[in-house]
Amino acid sequence: MRNERRPWREVCFPNGEWVLGLALAVELAIFAAIGENFFTWANFFEVVRLSVELGLLALALTPIMITGGIDLSVGSIMGLSAVVFGALWRDGGLPIPAAAGAALLLGCLAGLLNAVLITRLNLPPLIVTLGSLSLFRGIAEGITKGAENYSGFPAGFLRLGQGYLGGVVPVQLSVLLVAIAAYWVLLHRSGIGRTLYVVGFSPGGARYAGIPVQRRVALLYFLSGVVASVAAIIYVAHLGQAKSDAGTGYELAAITAVVLGGTSVFGGRGTVWGTVLGLFAISVLQNGLRLAALPSEMTGVVTGVVLVMTIGLGRLRGRGQRNEAIIDEADAMKNSQLAILCCTVVGGALIVAGTNIWLVRSLRPADGVLTKPAAKPGKRPVVAMMPKSKGDPYFISCRAGAEEAAREAGVDLIWDGPTGLDAAKQNEVVEGWITRGVDAIAVSVENSAGISTVLRKARARGIKVVTWDADSAEDARDYFINQATPEGIGFTLVDEGARLLGGKGEFAIITGPLSAANQNAWMEFMRKRVAEKYPGMKLVAMRPSDDDRDKAFAETQTILKVHPKARLIVTISAPAVPGSAEAVQQAGRKDVFVIGLSLPNLCKRYVHDDVVQAVVLWNTKDLGYLTVTAAALLVEGRTGKDSLQAGRLGTVEVRGTQVILGKPFIFNKANIDQYDF
Amino acid sequence: MLERHRREISLVVAILAIGAVLAVVAPGFFAFANQRDLMLANMPVLIVALGMVLVILTGQIDISVGSQFAICSVATGVFARMGLPTPLAGAAACLVGALMGSVNGALVAWVRIPSIVVTLATMVALRDGLRWVTQGAWVQDLPPGFQWFGQSQASSELITAGCAAALAVGMNWGLRNLAAGRVVYATGSSPNAARLAGINPRLVVFAVFVVTGALTGFAAAFNAVRFLQIPSNLGIGRGGDSGGSRHDCRNAAGGTAAGRDRSGADVSGVQRVLGAGD
Amino acid sequence: MALLDATAITKSFAGVQALRGVSFELRSGEVHALLGENGAGKSTLIKVITGAEKADSGTLTVAGHVVPHHSPAAARALGIAAVYQQPALFPDLTVEENVGLALESGPAWRRIDWHARRRQARELLERSGAEIAPERTVSTLSMPEQQLVEIAKAIGARARILILDEPTASVTDREVERLFRVIGALRSEGAGIVYISHRLDEVAVIADRVTVLRDGQNVATRDMRDVDRDELVRLMVGREMQAIYPKREVPIGKTALEVKGLGCRAAGIRDITFEVRRGEILGIAGLVGSGRTELAETLFGLTPADEGAIGLQDDVMRTESPAAAIRKKMAYLPEDRRQHGVVMEMPVAANISLANLDAVSRNGLIDHAVERSLAIRYVERLRIKTPSVHAETGALSGGNQQKVAVARWLAINPEVLILDEPTQGVDIGSKREIHQIMVELAAQGMAIVMISSELAEILGMSDRVAVMHGGTMAGILSRAEATQEKILALALGHA
Repeated sequence: MRNERRPWREVCFPNGEWVLGLALAVELAIFAAIGENFFTWANFFEVVRLSVELGLLALALTPIMITGGIDLSVGSIMGLSAVVFGALWRDGGLPIPAAAGAALLLGCLAGLLNAVLITRLNLPPLIVTLGSLSLFRGIAEGITKGAENYSGFPAGFLRLGQGYLGGVVPVQLSVLLVAIAAYWVLLHRSGIGRTLYVVGFSPGGARYAGIPVQRRVALLYFLSGVVASVAAIIYVAHLGQAKSDAGTGYELAAITAVVLGGTSVFGGRGTVWGTVLGLFAISVLQNGLRLAALPSEMTGVVTGVVLVMTIGLGRLRGRGQRNEAIIDEADAMKNSQLAILCCTVVGGALIVAGTNIWLVRSLRPADGVLTKPAAKPGKRPVVAMMPKSKGDPYFISCRAGAEEAAREAGVDLIWDGPTGLDAAKQNEVVEGWITRGVDAIAVSVENSAGISTVLRKARARGIKVVTWDADSAEDARDYFINQATPEGIGFTLVDEGARLLGGKGEFAIITGPLSAANQNAWMEFMRKRVAEKYPGMKLVAMRPSDDDRDKAFAETQTILKVHPKARLIVTISAPAVPGSAEAVQQAGRKDVFVIGLSLPNLCKRYVHDDVVQAVVLWNTKDLGYLTVTAAALLVEGRTGKDSLQAGRLGTVEVRGTQVILGKPFIFNKANIDQYDF
Repeated sequence: MLERHRREISLVVAILAIGAVLAVVAPGFFAFANQRDLMLANMPVLIVALGMVLVILTGQIDISVGSQFAICSVATGVFARMGLPTPLAGAAACLVGALMGSVNGALVAWVRIPSIVVTLATMVALRDGLRWVTQGAWVQDLPPGFQWFGQSQASSELITAGCAAALAVGMNWGLRNLAAGRVVYATGSSPNAARLAGINPRLVVFAVFVVTGALTGFAAAFNAVRFLQIPSNLGIGRGGDSGGSRHDCRNAAGGTAAGRDRSGADVSGVQRVLGAGD
Repeated sequence: MALLDATAITKSFAGVQALRGVSFELRSGEVHALLGENGAGKSTLIKVITGAEKADSGTLTVAGHVVPHHSPAAARALGIAAVYQQPALFPDLTVEENVGLALESGPAWRRIDWHARRRQARELLERSGAEIAPERTVSTLSMPEQQLVEIAKAIGARARILILDEPTASVTDREVERLFRVIGALRSEGAGIVYISHRLDEVAVIADRVTVLRDGQNVATRDMRDVDRDELVRLMVGREMQAIYPKREVPIGKTALEVKGLGCRAAGIRDITFEVRRGEILGIAGLVGSGRTELAETLFGLTPADEGAIGLQDDVMRTESPAAAIRKKMAYLPEDRRQHGVVMEMPVAANISLANLDAVSRNGLIDHAVERSLAIRYVERLRIKTPSVHAETGALSGGNQQKVAVARWLAINPEVLILDEPTQGVDIGSKREIHQIMVELAAQGMAIVMISSELAEILGMSDRVAVMHGGTMAGILSRAEATQEKILALALGHA
């Protein structure tokens, strides 16, 4: 009897990972049915390819969480390594292998720092890594000043992140497989792995059994630093760019994968196998939703629900197996109580969902009817269009025009993109569209170097590519829909400001994120115009708002105090203008002018209150309209040489490969009420 | 005194040191207007942190407050647009917050999923749910009486500061001197002993999450009335995921990890509350 | 009239029948001992009485009234108070608050009167014979002190029914005496006391009646006067026990462990000198806090020594870490089995191989077949009762858990084995088996150091007895010299 072997289910899934396996199978079945080109080898490898970086971090976190610790700094170690790698290669002139070596060394040091603080000074891992999260990200931002973006890596290096072995297997997959195997051996086969579980279950017990607890734990944090920098190098090769925000938010995604995979946050329980399942449950979900053209926000909602379900089921199933404390058995729930509880939870969720649906009704702009994918996809051409950030009111107003054009041109429109500014996400979305096999892709580019490779890949597959709002490399797209030249915008803003100030005085600029290519180009021309034409005007401050109203509000408050003589704020980010305006209004500074680049609807009240004097913009609805129309014409092959027949816009000029929308327009008190977008 | 408040004192020293540096580097920092702006900007963080203190005292954590904050902000605006007077809209936002808190609380207390897992899940689900629904649209065209509760700016700022201060002081006092407050400490110290002492630890944990949700709604409402429109990503923060996580972590750490030049206002505020403990 | 009458109580957990129709009666003014091996159902019965568990069937009558819906709160209202082996206190709160929270009632929003709280706590602590300042935080109290706080709570609740669950498990004989005085006082005030203990000699001193449970059933309830020790043991284990301690004389070999002038400031011990020979069992006696466990932890490298030397295997050194001690073939069975002795959540096999992973590994990778056969060998040798070597250790009874902990150390083939309270909280059957194992090991030439708070065990098992007092070695007695009085005198520092 003692010789009996354990049932296979217990050996393979000691923590109820089969629940998750089941969820994954359900996902696969659903998406195979509704996703386009979902159940193909090519897509399988695509999913794997996009989960390599996250997978590496999740693997590194698994043993750490098994010992009852946590490492929140993995994402920012990634960012720091990426930036150092890029800087050493481009500015330091080191060859790629040397720069990569240095980045790995940096990962070692970063991991070592965490390890020393946690094991030598006995500080809680949560606090240590929360601190180093800020520290590493801060250093990375310091190195790049928030704006630098290293790109132009040689093709041989980019193969690591973009190439395929034998034309099908992504190169970086090999790294992930090696890491999985290594961590599997470490955790489940080696003596060290055994001791890690002991540390997680009972740190005291581990010490009394003669296990060098501190050394083991230190090893894990060290390894996690190394693995994070490996992930960083793959990330750079994958996107072709190194920026200080690389890996932002990855730590939470990785923790989600690990926890979803059955690893206990209290330590002791967890498997590599579970983590891999958890990782794919998330990435298959993302990929599947994209291929099924379902809203990508469902990812979060479904992930959350699956997380609670798998852990909750495990909890309820596992109760009564062990009697730890008096409280636990005594409180074992009766079925009736469980039912009531489930009803409460479901009820609560329904109420939240209900209020949400009702929110939609009241929030959705009157003309912004969502286009449903047509009943029979594949018959009509599909145009996929991506904003820089889905939540930005500017892009929302573009969408209305895009949908109008889609109806007129008889194409299906997919509208998807990152929810915040996220270059990596843009790449992922485009990859998904390529797999899905859309007819045309239109992108508002967040990062030119990063996305151009993917866009070239799309063109190579015969997909028409249009960029709009912000451009990629010229050979990566067919057309760039140029809403207005940077020169036109920069000059118009300065001229309008000079008119208000009477040609002289101090002024300040609030921009979007420091790394935004658009805004940087505008500012370049603004400076040029001031230098050439208005020597009496002086730029005293230039602050980023990250396209966030509240940040613009705080930054404007600061400018008003630090530079009391500044009488003009030029805010060149759509959501930021109301923030600046509110700050000026609340400060009661009637002598300060606010102008900028924003949507009429966001600024109407401030314009009427004489806080904002002028808003410079093109017609955003027309921009969306023109983009989709141009894409549709490209698909149908009906493009002219130096003009386009763009529906209600009539004939539109084409300069080279640039489609020009028209001149920027100034909205002011006199005319703003005539516009609604 | 020294022994009992060792941790608080080290924080006060740190704040004073930062203050001293700022006084030299940027004298404008201590100008009344700047202090007032800092205080108002951090008031929502403070109020949410009050709830977080309760959650942490019971040995739990809530990282979903950022998402809750965003939803409550939008809810405030939507209720106001439906025609509710602003204070009522705020109260309704508190209810929405309490509802979300009750989902967290029920999952933690009765299904016994670790709070970090539950709130990680609800953080992601609520955040993406809100994005899904609003598609990032702002709540616009708020009724004229919305901003500043229809009061003047100065009196509204006074109301906000007063409410937050009253909440902080009241909670500090209540945690120390009311039986209900001590029950929170007792539950955190030993749920088992609490149960044997006739306390229902599950109920306490549940209640604490509900209160945190309600306070988040409260904070969201106070924050919303400072502006004319309500973006649907408030609290989730800039740049998506990262902002969210940072904002949440910041609250979780009791405001101590707040931005460099902001540390003064919220740490001292939170500390007033933490002073009840130990 | 009976204070408390539990009739035909049944209770099962996940299909395991813990109580099969137990009846139990407690009268006013009596100390009623509740005996039984681990797993006999004592704890479950207690939990049913205190409302921590709901019985599946059966009735509970308190002072003549049937209790319909029992809960901890209802038990409190009925005057039932329990002092558990592991005190159920709030470690982060002060003593006064612990007392206050347990005693006060009223609406949740009432205001707390801190002055009244302190007054009450002080008075109750006095009556329970404890010298503890009410403003101290509970986590700074020793285990016996915490138990006194629990008793103070019970007195404050005017408990008519007081349940003491192994109150003397980690307490020295002197503290036991003080506890007995308090119990005596409560009894004379008419309270009924349920007293659970594994120490039969204590039970003989304090109890008026005794109830023995076995396999979830009430085997017998007798007047204490009418039963003797042997009969109680027979009732508990269901079979006759022979000689109480199986100690055998075995040839004593050469020195295995030599300690000279050992001191460690962090552990609070100094100037300790002794030696242990092969085949010898050295008992270490002393009061709680005299430095016995600290000495063992210093020897084992958990708190490395900062003066003196340890001689092991012809080498003189100071053990820097447990790993170093293990390399020198020294093993240490810690006092706290649940926290340190075994990893409850892990399988028996993993626990047994834990200190000796190298032996079951090849190239750093664990060979599961070798591990399993190692585990099976020890499970059979120590007669560990477990469904399989893959069973979770936490699912075994306390005695079997302890045997798993012993097996882990035997697996490294130690030359010196330090056992810290090896039979604490272990049922009588297992206790005997553990003693038997010790004797066998000594016969094979192992040097054994045994720390124990139970004088009878020290006297019964040791070849020599070392007595500690205040962090130093107060004296070492040979088996012939050692008597209860002499050991006590040394332990109290009177010699």
